[in-house]
Amino acid sequence: MIHMDPKVIGIGTAVLLIAIFFAVVLAPRYTNPESLTPSDTHRDRTALEEEGRRHYISLGCQYCHSQYIRPTDWDLGSERVAQAGDYAREKAPQLGSLRTGPDLSQQGGEHTDDWHVAHFYNPRWVRPDSIMPPFPYLSERQRDSLIAYLQSLGGTDADQRVARQWYWREQAIAAYEAGPDENVRWLHAQVPQGWLEVPNPYPVTPANLKRGEVIYQRNCLGCHGPVGDGQGPAVNFIYPPPFNFTTLHRHGLAGGATGGMLYYQIMNGITGTAMPYFKRELESAKIWDVSNYVATQFIGLSDANQEPKGIDASYEPFH
Amino acid sequence: MDWILPTTPGSASRRFLVSGAFWLLIGVTLGLIGAIQMVAPDLFPAHELLTFGRIRPTHINVVIFGFILSALYGGMLHVVPAVCRTTLVSERVAHSAWWIWNGLILAMFITLPMGLTQGREYAEAIWIIDIGILLSVAVLIYLVFGTIAKRNERLLYVSVWYFAGGLVWTFFVYALGNVVWAPPAGAWEGINDQILLWFYGHNVVGLVITPPSLAMAYYIIPKATRTPLYSHSLSLLGFWALIVMYTHVGTHHLLQAPVPQWLKVISIVNSIALIVPVFAFLTNVWLPLKDRFGRIYEDVGAKMVFTGTIWYFLTCTQGCFQSLPSVQRVTHFTQWVVAHAHIALLGFAGFIAMGTVYFVLPRVCGRPLYSKRLADFQYWLILLGTIGIFLSLTFAGLIQGEAWLNGEMVYRVLPQLKIYLVVRGVAGTMIVISALLFIYNVMMTVLSQRQTSEAVDAEPDAPALAAHTPAQEEAPA
Repeated sequence: MIHMDPKVIGIGTAVLLIAIFFAVVLAPRYTNPESLTPSDTHRDRTALEEEGRRHYISLGCQYCHSQYIRPTDWDLGSERVAQAGDYAREKAPQLGSLRTGPDLSQQGGEHTDDWHVAHFYNPRWVRPDSIMPPFPYLSERQRDSLIAYLQSLGGTDADQRVARQWYWREQAIAAYEAGPDENVRWLHAQVPQGWLEVPNPYPVTPANLKRGEVIYQRNCLGCHGPVGDGQGPAVNFIYPPPFNFTTLHRHGLAGGATGGMLYYQIMNGITGTAMPYFKRELESAKIWDVSNYVATQFIGLSDANQEPKGIDASYEPFH
Repeated sequence: MDWILPTTPGSASRRFLVSGAFWLLIGVTLGLIGAIQMVAPDLFPAHELLTFGRIRPTHINVVIFGFILSALYGGMLHVVPAVCRTTLVSERVAHSAWWIWNGLILAMFITLPMGLTQGREYAEAIWIIDIGILLSVAVLIYLVFGTIAKRNERLLYVSVWYFAGGLVWTFFVYALGNVVWAPPAGAWEGINDQILLWFYGHNVVGLVITPPSLAMAYYIIPKATRTPLYSHSLSLLGFWALIVMYTHVGTHHLLQAPVPQWLKVISIVNSIALIVPVFAFLTNVWLPLKDRFGRIYEDVGAKMVFTGTIWYFLTCTQGCFQSLPSVQRVTHFTQWVVAHAHIALLGFAGFIAMGTVYFVLPRVCGRPLYSKRLADFQYWLILLGTIGIFLSLTFAGLIQGEAWLNGEMVYRVLPQLKIYLVVRGVAGTMIVISALLFIYNVMMTVLSQRQTSEAVDAEPDAPALAAHTPAQEEAPA
């Protein structure tokens, strides 16, 4: 039996602790060169991005946002599972231990800068269900550096996504500035022809209008506003501004099917503008429901249940 | 000078206990603010000092270092001399440790909301505070080992092993984990930094907080029930297994991150093996109670400590299985982990820390607790609050984890969590009220001039371990 005297306790346990520290902390560090070699998407950060990272750390973003993608993930960033080399040049990588908000390791290029500006001012202005704290007190410099940092997350992959945002942003701004008719024409022109020929295949019913309203309020309200006139609270931060659905009425259905057009734009978003894609979070029926809601409530025109609509789904009510 | 560094025996212990009760109130109030923000993010004025990302680390650091460790160190400064049948090597040095320690907690309470952080979970405090912590731990090491050196009792009771060992581990774990040799960042580069961080992060629980908690339980339960421990061999097994197993498990926080596979395997195997020291301890203090259970109820401090050991059983059993990849597949990144952390820190260590205050404070003040009934009410309030937090966050975590695996986006699951986060807020409110009652009871005990006719303790607390032999361990008298 060990005799427990102060030497055994003090020295014995300290020796054990240090020995195990060698095994489980130092050994992995010096036997895993991968962890110190930057991965293929690595690039060094600019001074502004580094400044943003300091604000990210100082504001404690990591307590809600993780920065690594797991093989089981479906959400933002799941195109690329994290590799050790992604963190090779980072001091205190912000891996995080909670995911109250989405993972940010591939955030770069996901949204435009103006979306981030509105989102930092008050996250609920673009994401009504968000529980993220508002950051209206950030100076312009702090906010812009934070955005620069977020746009750098994902390394060279993020750079390509950001470049794509800027490419489409120029075109979207040109279309918006050419006037409402030209803007609508340009927006229609971005929808593949096939979709323009598809009316909303589901009839408008009180039940799916109610569902459409819930979906609209949880996802669209912040920018497009409660009455669909594009005057949601985020409007002052976003350029080109959110679309005003009420202007579409006079275009009639001439430009194509409202149902298919809305469906496509909601599903894919309009890269380059603050309009995100919703295909990850809204299932097909939900997108049709919300486009029925927008069409009947705000545009005042619905092509729902028109031919061609194919064979009726089994649950659909009779008319 | 005598007010700053008094020499009255027990006075340093008293100050540590009182400051622990005070920081409990601050710590849980911060937690409640954060909990409310997760339900109503626009309720408080938008200000950087109040933003969730700064409230949360402040909450954690104040609770761990301010409340739990202050209270347990207060108990330690009473127990170590008591079971060594001597006096503290220097009451003045103990008081200086108290001043430094509380100055550091105050510094954390100010710097963390200002955003002065090293950005590493549980290791947020800036370098100068890290150095201060190491300094005060060094002073405590001197106090404990110095007192042991002048003991009048040949054999060291198991509580002393844990206090002494725990302080040595705290010093090394804190220095290594905070990378104190590399200011100001206090971090390594790359994913290895996170391996180091979670070596530290888990050992803050396992080797910094657990040893003094177990030491207090090993002291208070046998003493309150006047029952010897079950077995000396189990004491030894629990102690040595704790240091060997706990040090290996940190990487179970990174099972889904790109770190070496062999390291993950080591962390899982050792996490399961933690069952050994946990059950060695529990068997040792629970088994002798089998026909003396009623005695626990006679003393509110002992009751609280005993409840802490039940939380220890729950949190450590859960923790073992939570280290399995198949469990983490669902639970990782979710509120489940927050629930687990609350039963470990508030349930286990927190209950033992509060029990320590209730049990030791009357002994170092020389008068009984101001109100046993209030203490009993406070016990039930915080017990229900802790259960409420545990259940609501566990449910919320399961909803998150299963929904994500099912392909749901983080954003879409948020509305489903709301009711659970509201329940958590209600439970948190109970805990804050309970902390208020606690500090009230403590202050009334300390400030009351009422001298007791009723003896606090049957015997004066210079315990005799005369019957203590390695084979048959006696309760500290």
